[in-house]
Parts: sequence; structure tokens; C-alpha cells
Amino acid sequence: MLVRRLRVLHKALGTCSIQVADVHTQHYDVIVVGGGHAGTEAAAAASRTGANTLLITQKIQTIGALSCNPSLGGVGKGHLVKEIDALDGLMGRAGDWAGIHFSILNRSKGPAVWGPRAQLDRGHYRDFIQSELLSTERLTILEGSVEDLLVSAADPDKPGRHKVYGIRLAHGGGEIHSRSMVLTTGTFLSGSLFMGPHSSPGGRMGDPPSCVGLSYSLKEILGLKVGRLRTGTPPRIIKDTIDFSCTEIRLPDEKPIPFSFINAHIHCKPEEQLPCFLTHTTPGVERVVNESLHVNSHIHQDTKGPRYCPSIESKVLRFPGRRHQVWLEPEGWTSDLMYPQGLSMTMPPDTQLCLIREIPGLHKAQIHTPGYGVQYDFVCPTQLYPWLQVKSTQGLFLAGQINGTTGYEEAAAQGLWAGVNAGRTSLSKVPLSLSRTQSYIGVLIDDLVGRGVNEPYRMFTSRSEFRTSLRPDNADMRLTPRGFEEIGCVSQQRYNEALRVKKSLNEALSALRSVSLSATRWKNILQHVNISETKSTILSGEELLQYKDVSFQMLASAFPELLAPYLEFSERIKVEALYHPHCEKQRRDIERMQEEESLYLPQDIDYLNLPVSLSKEVREILDSARPHTLGAASRLPGITPAAIVHLLNYVQREKKRNHGTGKDVSCFG
Amino acid sequence: MTVKTSFRTTAVFYAKLFRKMHFIRCWRRSAAVITSRRSFAVKRQLCSVGSEDDTVFAMSSGQGRCGVAVVRVSGPASALAVCSLTRRLPAARTASLRSIIHPQTKELLDRGLVLWFPGPRSFTGEDSAEFHIHGGPAVINGVLQALGTLPGLRPAEAGEFTRRAFFAGKLDLTEVEGLGDLIHAETEAQRRQALRQMAGDLGRVYQDWRERLKRCLAHVEAFIDFSEDELIEDGILTDVDTGVCQLQTEMGNHLSDQRRGERLRSGVQVVIAGSTNAGKSSLLNMLTQRPAAIVSPTAGTTRDVVEVPLDIGGYPVLLSDTAGLRDTTDSVEQEGVRRARQRVEQADLTLAVVDLTQLPSEPGLVSVFLRGHLRSILEQTSDRQQCIPILNKSDLISTEQNHSIRAVLEKDGDVAHFSFLSCHTRDGLEELLTLLQDRLKTLCGDPLAGSPSLTQTRHRTHLQKCTEALHQYHQYRDVDLVLAAEGLRLGLSSLGRITGRIGAEEILDVIFKDFCIGK
Repeated sequence: MLVRRLRVLHKALGTCSIQVADVHTQHYDVIVVGGGHAGTEAAAAASRTGANTLLITQKIQTIGALSCNPSLGGVGKGHLVKEIDALDGLMGRAGDWAGIHFSILNRSKGPAVWGPRAQLDRGHYRDFIQSELLSTERLTILEGSVEDLLVSAADPDKPGRHKVYGIRLAHGGGEIHSRSMVLTTGTFLSGSLFMGPHSSPGGRMGDPPSCVGLSYSLKEILGLKVGRLRTGTPPRIIKDTIDFSCTEIRLPDEKPIPFSFINAHIHCKPEEQLPCFLTHTTPGVERVVNESLHVNSHIHQDTKGPRYCPSIESKVLRFPGRRHQVWLEPEGWTSDLMYPQGLSMTMPPDTQLCLIREIPGLHKAQIHTPGYGVQYDFVCPTQLYPWLQVKSTQGLFLAGQINGTTGYEEAAAQGLWAGVNAGRTSLSKVPLSLSRTQSYIGVLIDDLVGRGVNEPYRMFTSRSEFRTSLRPDNADMRLTPRGFEEIGCVSQQRYNEALRVKKSLNEALSALRSVSLSATRWKNILQHVNISETKSTILSGEELLQYKDVSFQMLASAFPELLAPYLEFSERIKVEALYHPHCEKQRRDIERMQEEESLYLPQDIDYLNLPVSLSKEVREILDSARPHTLGAASRLPGITPAAIVHLLNYVQREKKRNHGTGKDVSCFG
Repeated sequence: MTVKTSFRTTAVFYAKLFRKMHFIRCWRRSAAVITSRRSFAVKRQLCSVGSEDDTVFAMSSGQGRCGVAVVRVSGPASALAVCSLTRRLPAARTASLRSIIHPQTKELLDRGLVLWFPGPRSFTGEDSAEFHIHGGPAVINGVLQALGTLPGLRPAEAGEFTRRAFFAGKLDLTEVEGLGDLIHAETEAQRRQALRQMAGDLGRVYQDWRERLKRCLAHVEAFIDFSEDELIEDGILTDVDTGVCQLQTEMGNHLSDQRRGERLRSGVQVVIAGSTNAGKSSLLNMLTQRPAAIVSPTAGTTRDVVEVPLDIGGYPVLLSDTAGLRDTTDSVEQEGVRRARQRVEQADLTLAVVDLTQLPSEPGLVSVFLRGHLRSILEQTSDRQQCIPILNKSDLISTEQNHSIRAVLEKDGDVAHFSFLSCHTRDGLEELLTLLQDRLKTLCGDPLAGSPSLTQTRHRTHLQKCTEALHQYHQYRDVDLVLAAEGLRLGLSSLGRITGRIGAEEILDVIFKDFCIGK
């Protein structure tokens, strides 16, 4: 059976050869279920850590598919893409390969919040991901449906009640065993699709519904708490039917900057990039929404709903009388479709057509595929460790929409981290967490496991406390060295490059600091710069670089011998100099948070009966949140400083006791 | 970490101080080369909002009145704190008696024991110091405020000393447990106090600022995170500019309103006034428990103002006895009456003494008489809050009379405001003292009975930090919006230390409420 399926894969992908060595193996170190953004990053990352990995997906052709918007990155999300790339993930390079329109958002707002973004060619993106996976060592891909998880009692020497040791394939496909497993089922967990008054089971239009058994295993056998979330996608519009003269054109950056730290250029020619178009909603749109509410079951079920507006219906209902932006985005080089960003809707198809025809530029537009809504189960992520393993179940990792997030980048980031840890655990290495002081991925995971979600979680820069330190430009400096040295998911080549960059940046900054001149002399050197300091003030090169209109190139031409060797990094040096004082200032806060995050709280603490002085209120908060570290505990609303001191005491006492018995308290995996 | 380190820290402090006093220019002119170390310090000064050096201080001897209070300082700037308040560093781990001086006003705050513990051999493992001072709120408040004015110092959060000690590996387990209880008690008190305050006027002011600043930050954050994809009006940053300016002005005004702080520092002005021979000087002597003023049956014995500093219920009071108010031809006494009236005008609280035997015998007239009489004593100061009418010589009237007067006052709803007293038998003294303490508490403006000064200093420091941080917003508004937003974040977190922490979720609540943000 397995052999037959792999042949299918072989045929589908054509060009690449498969490692046949694994064909007869019924046992892997890691199984990844799902071939979306989380699944592909998880499979690739697990393989990179050295684990023998199997990726199972329902349809091989949809591996790496962009199910919704044809774009990548943006403000906050772009930070995630850079970090995924810094850890040698696929997404950044795939974006550089498939991008057809690159731009840096927030150009005017400070480099810490620049949002690298690209429109993508759907086909190219998918092809890149698929060929990357096929050329990944230790990775096997299998087309199939998972019917059930294989669950046994937990290993008694580790925390947890259950253990997952493999999967059973649907349609009598047999069992495959593994030490670890990553579930990335996206919207397919008890998913239903909504359009107009009707609904049908499924996770994505055009794909079969799945995971009935999986859903049952998670809920009934493993006893996980699940919730329900909703999302949606807009109709796709036939490009030739759009009157672009009624819209505003948005051109890409003339000098596109690649996502990946190891790419010097994007794949396409900068001058060949495609534009986007901007149009707006009208009062007519509002009228259509209001008149069709009775045939829009998805909106009717919007009882709790997210705080933001996931669909055009919710925008109109919550903010009536306003004009809303609609972006018309190309779907690819040869695609004859446009994606109307901002027009996610679930009304019946004929009403969808009426609605879009109320929009300037779309008066005669034709819909290729109507929009629809999806409702699906997610597992409340507070049941996970920061390394994305289910606390109650040994070997089981979750990533992506199953944890309550939305967005490709959020999914990929978790996939990568779950894959790394599934790989490490299967090889008997300690699982690792990423601190929120170090990365947006850390912020994302800490928010998920620490606080949980009640609406699809999306990354914003405002979620990070240390925004001036966690920037898109320095993601490689923050993560790549650790990725190689400790985590084991980064290639030697990328590591070497990161070290080279780090060395150059440090040298360049020292060189800049070594130049100290009076303001008068600087004014003579840089005649067009308005230096506000008084004449005799001494300024270093680094301080001068903090002026808005001073570039590193200007300083390098003034001190060519000293600075010219670093011209390659002009942009990065400028950003480093700008934020350096602020990062220094935040360093102590960061250290404090790290200290507290290094103190682990055992997961089996019985908070309600803990023999320390804690109020009932605090006990209940701790009991329901079960923070993993003291740092996480201190961020919980309602936790008093006194409670933290008592917990500190407890941790210390436990540490001593366990030290006596030779057990390491710091690892509860 | 020895004295050497502390001297370096001291040097850095003086460098900062000099810079503030604009001496730095001359200094710089004389300097041929500037070291990178100093330019670093300059930059920190430029962009810093307060304390990155992270030295904390707090009263660590518990709450309530006590003979000796211990104020503890911990962190790298401890040495500069000791030097600034006592001029020089004492020998390590040795108690030295020192004058403690306000570093800015040079005012003498107290004389007390000072101990200097260079790290790592200290409670927290860091450089630390202790000031053992007199336990009155005015003194404690003075010292805490003085520490708060030093660069790099901020009030400790609850449990902070213990946590520092813990991280330095300094704590015995039993010690942590014990201290935890202490901190617990403190935070409980703070929580209750916060609740009380939040119901009051001050609470409303803080809450209002919190909401407005939160909204400002939320709008900047919305502009950063969403303006590229969603329709966010261009004017929103201009509105934030205005909003931040208004907050700065209001907080500045609030901070410069020193009256309540002054009362605690120099004492509440309490003046005893009334007609001649009503028993004013007897009252003074009774309250001071010594014959500070000459008492005689002759009307007009007290001709000038007699001042006695007092501590009533932990509040510093400057009690003044004045000449009896009457029209007189005696020029000395006339001057005395003029001064008495002046005192009453300036008083925070007037004790208006009325001789019960002078009241009309017809009960119907008592009310009218008293009202007229009080008006003649208080003249311009008509505010009833600032006056306690004391009906003295209750031992000289019959029980029936006493009852009928009380009945009349009760009918007018006034009885609670009056104090019946006999300076002779001390009847009613307890009630008077309770009433007095209540009024003092209100006047000193702090609802925390245990330590009026502590919270004030905390609030003040955090508010100051908040306004400094808001300045950073304007400084970077057109340079880098992230750094500008950082100013608002810092400001809100300082304010949050008074009103409760504001997390990212709360900011997002505002964003999603005010703007239409899509998927």
C-alpha cells in the first residue's frame, strides 16, 4: 500500500527522485500530518534536526498551496518570515522564488516595523516548496488520510497521561509508528464550509472532508479541550472583466529586497514585477450586505466573533457608513484571476456578484470562484508546552490553525518550531523554547500557550514588548547562531554567513565609534546635513548616523579607509546605530524576563493544595493557566508579587530536593 | 564590587549633575578628545526616560507608626544615593550617625544612622544602603521623596528586594517565606488602598489619564500595524500629538501642586481661635500636654501667637494659639488680634473655641448665635471643612442645658461637626482627637492610614517618569515612529504602576473598537 502511494507521489512530482530506502520502513522518528505551511515547515525542520521524517498529506498536489491570499509577509508577519528564514525554514526562500511584486510596508515608520511583503505566483510557490521537500534528506512524503492516532499509556518516567506512537491510515492503509508526531490539520478538524444559507463538511473547497477520527481521538481519547473558530475567503475575480482605469495602481519597489538572508536577489526581474490595484466599497455594498443577511448563515452564527472584522459583512455591520479598502492582487504570472483582498464573504454566489459590481472597477466583473466561510475546531493552546507538545500526551505536537492562529506565516513559524522539537524529542534531545525577548516566534508561542485564544491569533508588532530589539533586519543575528549551535536546524553554510555578517557589523560599529569630531567639523564634512548640536559638541560616527538624513555611505566616503570595507552592510549598520541606545536601555528588562523564564514550574503542581501561602484566587488562576515558567506566571493577570515570591521559594525547594535524587528539574519534557 | 566601584558610580552621577547644570559645556570645551564611554552616557541621557540603572528604594520596616523607620536602597546607584543625602560614603557595614539632607533643596530632613553595604556582601547581593531614620511620616516622606529625585532611582515594587536577593542566591528558604508574608501584607494594603483611591477624586483623575494615554498609544499602534492595509485616517497622529500635550500639561500641573506634600513636610497649620477667655490656651496646653501657653482667668492673657509643633496620629501639626478675638483699644492686643485673624486666614484647620457658658439660655437662639459667632471667628474662611467648632467648658453648665444644646444641634443636623469638651475635666478629649485625626488625614490627602508618605512618593515618581516618557514621544515623533511609540509605552507603563498594568490585549481592544481592521 505504502509503496503504491509513494509511486503516486513520484508521478505527481515527476522530476525528483525519492529515497527508496524508507519505502519499506513502517517506523519513523517523526510523522507530520498535513502539507500546508505548518506541515511543510515542520517536516523540513524535523528532517534538518536529523530525524527520519514522514509527511502525510491528503493530496500531494496541494503541498505548499496558498489556500487564501496570494501574498506573504507584511507588518509583523514579515518579521515572522525573516525569523523562519533565519532558522533555515522554507518560507522566505519560497517567497523570493515565487514573488511577483515586492514592497516594504511602513517605509516611513522606522525600520523596526518595516514589513517586507510580496505578492506571489501560487504555482511557483507550490513548486518551490514541493521540490525543496523532495530534495530534503531523511524526508519521505506519503499521500493518504489519517484515520486515527495510536495512543498508549504514558511512559511513567515522563510527565503526561498518554503517549502517541503512530497513526492508522484510512481505507485499510495500515499503521505507521513514530516516536513523535506533529499534527497540522489546519481547518480540517471537524471543518464545515459555509456559503449562503447552506453548509457542508470540509476544510477547503474542492478537498474532501477529513479527520473525523482524528477529531474524536483528540477530544474523547486524549481529553483535549477544543473550541471553534471561523474564517473565510473572498471570491476570485476574472482579471479581464475588471476595469482597472477606475482603480488606483500600486507599483512594487523598484529595488526589491529578498526575504531570505541568504538570497542577494529575488528570482524575477525587478522591472517585470506586476502591480496591485486599490479600490473602495460604496454605499451599494452596504445595501447588498444588509439585504442578504437572511440568506447568510455564517454571519448569523457570529455570536461571539472576533474583535476585528474577518469579512466584508462584519465590516459593514460593525462600521456602517464607512468606506473600506479593497486591494486587487494578481494571483501569478499567467493567472487570469485577481484576488480582492478585503472582500471575504459568505453570501450566496449570485449575491456575491451583485456586491462586487457595486465597487468601482468591478462594475462588469465576473466571479471565477465564489467566496465562502469555514468553521473548524482548534485545540485550546494553553494545553501545550512552549515547545508545542501537548502537555498530557507524550510525543504529540500541534502547529498552525489547529492552535487557533490565522495566517500562513503564523502557521509556518509554529510548524518550524514544532518540527524542531518533534525531531529533537524523537532523538532523545531536550525540547527547547524560544523566548519572547528573542523573537516574534517566541512572542507568538508564549501568547498562545500562556494566554490561549478566543479569536484567530494574528501577529502584530504591538504584541512585542521589545520591538526595537526584535527587528526584521536582525533576525539572523538573533536566531541563526543559536539555530546552528544549540537547536541544530541551521546549515553550516548559513551559519558561516551569519558569523561573517555579525563580525562585519561589530567591526563597522566599533569603527564608527572610534570617529569622534566636533559638530563644526562634521558640518564641514557633511555639508547638507542639519546638525542641531552646538558647535563644540563632540559626536561619534555612530551618533551621527542617528540623524535621519545621514547615511552610512556618506560617512564611508568621508572616511573611506576606515569604513568602506563595510559598505555592503550600509543599511543594516544605519539601523543598528539608530536603535542601539534603546536596545541597551531595554537590555536589563530583557535580562529580567529571561531570568524569570529560566525558572521552570513543574507541570504537575497541585496549585489548589500547594503547601505555600497563596490566596484562593491566585491558586485558581495558576491552576487554570498552568504556566510553564515563573516568567509566564508573572505575566498572568491577577498574579501578585507575593505569589511570585512564594512560587520562587517553591521552585527552589523542589530544585534542592530533586538535586538530591539526581533528577533535573529544569526539564519536564 | 567595592568602594572603587562606588566611586566610579559617584563620578558618573556628578557628571550627570553637572550636565544638568550646564557646566558641561565648559567642561567639554576643555576636553580635547571625548571617550566613547562618555558619549555613551550622553546618549543615554538623551533617550532615557529615567532609570535604566535600576536602583530601587523603599521603606522596609513595615507599615504604621514606629520609632525608627528603615529605608533601604539597592542597586548600582546606592552609593550615589548615600553620597547625595549624607555627603559621603561611610565605612562599609558600620553604622554612622549622619545628617540626612535633601540633595536639591539642601534642607535637613533628619539625623539618623546610615549603613553602607557594598555588594556582593549585602542582602540583595547588590550595592545597597540603609537609612535608619525617625519614624514620623513627614521624615519618611521627605527621605523617600529625596531619593526619588535622584537619577536612576525608583521606588521598589512589592517583593523586589526579595526577588533581587533570590536571584543573587542570597536567601535562605525560611527567610523567603517570612518575607513573602510581609510583602503579602503590604500588597494587600496597597490593593485596598488602590480600591479606596480609585473611588475618590484622585482615582478618577488617574483613571482618566490612563484611558486617554491608552487611547493615544492604541492609535499610534494602529497606525504602525494597520495603516498600510486598512483605511486609517491621516489625522490620527495629529490628534495623538494634541492628546499627549494635554496629558503632559495636566500631569505637570498636578505634580507642581505641592500643597499636600508641603503639609506633610512642614506640618498642617492648625490654629486655635475664639473669643477671649473661651479656653484656647487651655486647649493648647491640653493637646501639647505641657504648659506651653500662660493660662489665666483674665481675658486677653494671650496677646501674641504661640506656636507648638505636634504629632497627632502620625501627622505633623503646627498648632498655634492666638489672641482672643475682641475689639480692644490696647494697641498691643490690637496687633495680637490682627495676627490671630491672619493666622485663621492661612490655617489649614481652625479649632474655633466657644465658651458654652456664653450661649443664650433660650434653646431656640442657640443655633443662630453659634452660626453668627463662628462667622465672626472665621470671617473670610467660610469653608466648614476647615473648621472644628469646640464647645468648651461643658463642666460648667448643667446636664439639662447640655442636653438641650445637643438636641438643638442635632435637630439642625450639626451635632457631628461640633465637639463638646471640658479642658478642665478632659471630658470629650478622645472624641476631639479622633475628629482631629480624621481631618488631618483628609488634609494630608492620603487614604492609606499606615503610611501616608510612601504611596505619595510612589505616585509622584511614576507620574514624573510618565511625563518624561511622554516627552520622548514628541522628540522622536518625526524621526522614528517606533521610538516615539516607545515613549508612550513607557509612559503608560509608569502610569500603570499606579492604576494597574496595561497589556497588549487591552491596547488591541481599543484598536479593534476604533478602527475597522480586516482579516
